[in-house]
Amino acid sequence: MTRLRLTLVFLIAISLQLTVFIDIRVLGVAPELLALVAVLAGYFAGPRSGPSIAFAAGLLWDVYLPTHLGVSALIFAVVAYSIGSVEAGLFHDSRLQLAVVAALSTALMVIAYALSNEILGERGLIDMDMLKIAAVSGLFNAVLSVPASPLMRWALGPGPTRPAAAVNRPLSRG
Amino acid sequence: MASAQRAGRSRYRLALLVLTAVTLLSLDFRGFGPLDSAQSAVRDVLNPVTSLFDTVLSPVGDGWNAVFDYGDLEARNEELRRQIDEMRGDAIGAEAALAALERLQNAVEIDFKGDIATVAATVLRGEVGNFDADVVTLGKGSDSGFEVDMAVVTGAGFVGRLSRVDRSTSTVELISASSLVIGVRLVSTDEVGLGHGVAGQPRQFVINQGPSWPEGGNPELLPEIGSAVVTDTGSRYPAEIPIGIVTDVSTPDGLAMVVIVELSNDVGDLGFVSVMLDAASDEVPLRPVTPSTVVSLEIDPKLLDPDSGAGATP
Repeated sequence: MTRLRLTLVFLIAISLQLTVFIDIRVLGVAPELLALVAVLAGYFAGPRSGPSIAFAAGLLWDVYLPTHLGVSALIFAVVAYSIGSVEAGLFHDSRLQLAVVAALSTALMVIAYALSNEILGERGLIDMDMLKIAAVSGLFNAVLSVPASPLMRWALGPGPTRPAAAVNRPLSRG
Repeated sequence: MASAQRAGRSRYRLALLVLTAVTLLSLDFRGFGPLDSAQSAVRDVLNPVTSLFDTVLSPVGDGWNAVFDYGDLEARNEELRRQIDEMRGDAIGAEAALAALERLQNAVEIDFKGDIATVAATVLRGEVGNFDADVVTLGKGSDSGFEVDMAVVTGAGFVGRLSRVDRSTSTVELISASSLVIGVRLVSTDEVGLGHGVAGQPRQFVINQGPSWPEGGNPELLPEIGSAVVTDTGSRYPAEIPIGIVTDVSTPDGLAMVVIVELSNDVGDLGFVSVMLDAASDEVPLRPVTPSTVVSLEIDPKLLDPDSGAGATP
């Protein structure tokens, strides 16, 4: 059932990214919804299952991007693992904290994506625009983390999760 | 103890994911066919879902554009008004503009489609991510006979090439992409070169290399400003497709000529395009190397006549 709900979240994220957020851009930059799914997976599901969910989200995003398959999947999984591995004591029940984590992680993923693709032979990704994209998409994702986090918590359903996320959850698991 | 075991398992899982990603990357680099097919299948399966979202949520995007692009529209109108005023007030300027317009019309009226069948397609969307500004998605695919590398055009000329073809959609790499190199011909001089887009300049195209590309700033080889640039017969794409108009020519450091072209298409504002159903040539867009300049060898006839005594040491 969790897989079905996660699939639904993936479908919603990719569909919104390919439709609404083609038009809705700030300074020409769209949010990175699949990256947000990866961040939330790391935050709520922890280092055990978070990276796998993030990997799947990245792979789905790679299917639509003109760059090489596997780049986003790799970056998303590593970042989700890092978020999930942060000591539980550092996390508190705070939307603001989640927004900050979403902003910083998204910016990091965007920069890592550009660097990785440059290393792999793509050209023109590293410039001042990259920093603008990292900053704006990070802020975008920080705002969107507020409505997205309940959806992600619902998708993950009851089951083992990181202690901090459990504190953050209204539907606490035993 | 239990938490250490959990951490170990997590690291093991992450290592497996990294390994999987690296494997996918290397297969993708090698152009592994089944992987492309699998990606295409995923996009085909999800296409009805995204289409449904598009239909339902298009008013949201339209509303956003109406609110936030209104300023752009006003600015554009203002710019057009300014241009009209300038042309009215300055007879010479107007005449020059008329001549430029005539040259542009001459360029675009070339019958580049010939006998090649074309299929019209709607542009579904522009860039999907934040790093792929030079890509658009069309609402038709292999079901309509599209194949990778086919040329995409409008009435004004070359738009790009099909870089990815699914069953019902396809992706176009636009001419403005710096990675898309095209074999072109300068109509005014018949010189053939290789050109590409410029990052961040969606209407600019630069020609600066080729097998016999002129060097040294010979004024006879410089194309006229305002002359047309078209695809070459040696290009991967059908010949004589208009690319744009020459706006600047220079020979920096006295070396290879650099020709700046204003593209005839505004690729940032495409609604409909035509795909030329002509399989692209697999050959590299190069011709056999032939000298582009003729050096006259004027040899003193006395040197060739052994009886003349020329060249003999006294």
